[in-house]
Amino acid sequence: MISALAFLQYHSTKNRLLLRFKRLKQPKYLIGAVVGGLYFYWYFSRFLFAPRGRLERAGATAGLPVDPLLYESIGALVLLVLVLLAWLIPHKRAALAFTEAEVAFLFPAPVSRRMLMHFKLLRSQLAILFTVLLFTYLSTRLSTGNGLIRAAGWWVMLSTLNLHFLGSSFARTLMLDRGISNWKRRGLVLAMLLAGLGIVGVWAVRGIPELRFADLADFESLKQYGEQVLVSGPLPYLLSPFRLVVRPYLATDWLALLSALWPAALLLALHYWWIIRADVAFEEASVEASQKIAERIAAARAGNWQAANRKLRAKHAPFPLRPHGPAAVALLWKNLIGAGNAFTLRTWIILAAVVFGVSMGMRGASSASNWLAVLAGFAVALGFMAVLLGPQLVRQDFRQDLQHADMLKLLPMRGWQIALGEILAPAVILTAVHWLLIIVAVALLPRMAEGNISGSLVLALGAGAAVVLPMLNMISLLIPNAAVLLFPGWFQPGKDAPHGIEATGQRLVFALGQFLAFIVALLPAAAVFTGFFFLVKLIAGSLLAVPVAALAAAAVLGLEAGLGVMLLGWLFERLDLSAEPT
Amino acid sequence: MIEVQGLGKLYGDFVAVDELSFSVKPGEVMGLIGPNGAGKTSTLRCMAGIIPPTRGAVRVCGHDLALDPIAAKRQLAFFTDEPRLFDYLTVWQHLNFVSRIYQVADWAATGRALLEELELADKSDRLPGELSRGMKQKLAIACGLLHAPRVMYFDEPLTGLDPIGIRRMKDSILKRARDGAAIIISSHLLHLVGEVCSHILILKNGRKVIDGTIAEITRKFSQHPGDANLEEVFFRATDEPPRAP
Repeated sequence: MISALAFLQYHSTKNRLLLRFKRLKQPKYLIGAVVGGLYFYWYFSRFLFAPRGRLERAGATAGLPVDPLLYESIGALVLLVLVLLAWLIPHKRAALAFTEAEVAFLFPAPVSRRMLMHFKLLRSQLAILFTVLLFTYLSTRLSTGNGLIRAAGWWVMLSTLNLHFLGSSFARTLMLDRGISNWKRRGLVLAMLLAGLGIVGVWAVRGIPELRFADLADFESLKQYGEQVLVSGPLPYLLSPFRLVVRPYLATDWLALLSALWPAALLLALHYWWIIRADVAFEEASVEASQKIAERIAAARAGNWQAANRKLRAKHAPFPLRPHGPAAVALLWKNLIGAGNAFTLRTWIILAAVVFGVSMGMRGASSASNWLAVLAGFAVALGFMAVLLGPQLVRQDFRQDLQHADMLKLLPMRGWQIALGEILAPAVILTAVHWLLIIVAVALLPRMAEGNISGSLVLALGAGAAVVLPMLNMISLLIPNAAVLLFPGWFQPGKDAPHGIEATGQRLVFALGQFLAFIVALLPAAAVFTGFFFLVKLIAGSLLAVPVAALAAAAVLGLEAGLGVMLLGWLFERLDLSAEPT
Repeated sequence: MIEVQGLGKLYGDFVAVDELSFSVKPGEVMGLIGPNGAGKTSTLRCMAGIIPPTRGAVRVCGHDLALDPIAAKRQLAFFTDEPRLFDYLTVWQHLNFVSRIYQVADWAATGRALLEELELADKSDRLPGELSRGMKQKLAIACGLLHAPRVMYFDEPLTGLDPIGIRRMKDSILKRARDGAAIIISSHLLHLVGEVCSHILILKNGRKVIDGTIAEITRKFSQHPGDANLEEVFFRATDEPPRAP
């Protein structure tokens, strides 16, 4: 039977790789693969193939652990936290992650539960080995040492954790079956944790110099105290099973690795025995989990990260939608609902009032302007980031609705109406965020820059930004939406969506393209702004020049946005769904 | 009410639909049948404006779908075999959304009546993810019927429905036809086509094999009066005799 499962795994992997190689005949995948390959080379491979001396120089800054026991204890502590979380947080029954097809074929087949578990364990090794490769690369960059020894260490840690997580999920299920509720189990684990902490605490109070309140501010004192707790007293003993798992990673040579490896291997074997002996029914929960995983993958590949990451709940409408009026508003309304309950007019008005009140309060109460400067600067920086990154994060537009393109095509609306409706929601959300940040900056900047900038000028700058930013958001959203409609195949949702190196390369190409297009779109508005600014400044002074120039720039951006919407609509009308699977 | 003239659809070099012409008058229900890959869904998708035809023209209630798509689409509804819904809109919000798109003034009353008729009244606050396959299909039907379309396309309309749902769907289709709608049903369920349709069009390899009333077509493919039912007609028309088990 194991041969059939091995056959499945081997051919699935082989066919997947072949398919990806065949796809390289298409330019969109080839370009993505080349750019993605260069990216990965730049960040990863050049270090792996770098001359030895360079590697060592790169790692020389961090060096090898000075005190193995200290680093062993730190590593063990991290493992302890991970293990505790595995016992404390989960509340569901044990479920092994299978795909829907595996559930459909393997669960009704004459395959024993133990065999399914072996299949799952063997397959998890593929993911573990990939992670080992990545971690080994990262860890050899941070410190010197033999890469193979590091790899063996990572493999022991990750495999043990993997088995422990599985074993703990089985134990949790068995407890539930025997009437031990999740909260009872958590209480028990917390009691054990508190007992351990108590032992360490009592020892620390009696055994090492007391940590004074003043020492908390001194990082060096704090570090020394932590080191003493970690390397002496009961903690190293309490952490001993975890230290066994960490020890192979810290081995300095092959002999040390061998001597560290056998206790860790024994622990690994014990975990394996624990899992194989546990007769836990995981099938039902696995079926449910496989469906959820499939839904999440489909949602994530469709660009709908919200649906991928959380359970959907019915949400309030942002405003009442009447049956008469521009049809594009229906799409805005729909997409705002999709964005979540936070995006209602009432919420944003309350938020704006609170932000304004708090900002003004801070401005009035503070005598020192340093931290107000930090806050104001942070608001301005966040505003710039929102312009550049916001369109990538807020995607309630064609990028989310491409999977519903056939429904949108059925609607009795012009292309430009659909395009406008689609990009309105993210534009509204980003504008609301910008206006909040403007409120903060306008409230805090005059106080911060006393004497240098007048309050009136800051107000003028704020008003100018408030006028320009909605249009700027429209422009910045037009670009990724046009990309989706121009190259729908690149944004293909579902199981055929590109992933891996090709997808990374495609994203990089689009990010660069978007940045360039954004700059080009900004140039006319920037020229108009400059012209108007100097003209009005000569006539009426700086105070009036800023908002007037901003209005003129906003008009240019508005015109560009209007033309962009028309173009987007034209692209949507010409989007041939039969040519590009969506 | 539905006029199709010389409709063709190519996918690259592959001919999915070839020189297809027919018409469906008000009150008629036409069954679009054919083997898998015959071009039924491509035909319907072209006729709904979802995909552009490579050649030919489609007129819906006198409006050319290519020249005046808005007016044409206002009159039609397309019900797909797989209900396509928005994950984050509730049942009622779906109807509200459709009401604005199609400017349906009395949508609330019509929507409530449709939900009652389709047994979804108690599910109005549910998301599609909380509905069964059949209920999702019913919601898609309610959305399609809200603006009282005069032209309707059904692609495998019975998929996912329970026996009561199937009966209601058949009654609903016939009622809409009696009210003057022109309806096209694409289905492999020949008994459904036989019960509901007044006309049929048989497609094979994208080409029309024959169209007409069921009586006309049955007569044409019968060697003796009464020796062929619709299933037999289908096999004879498509040259695909049923294989013995």
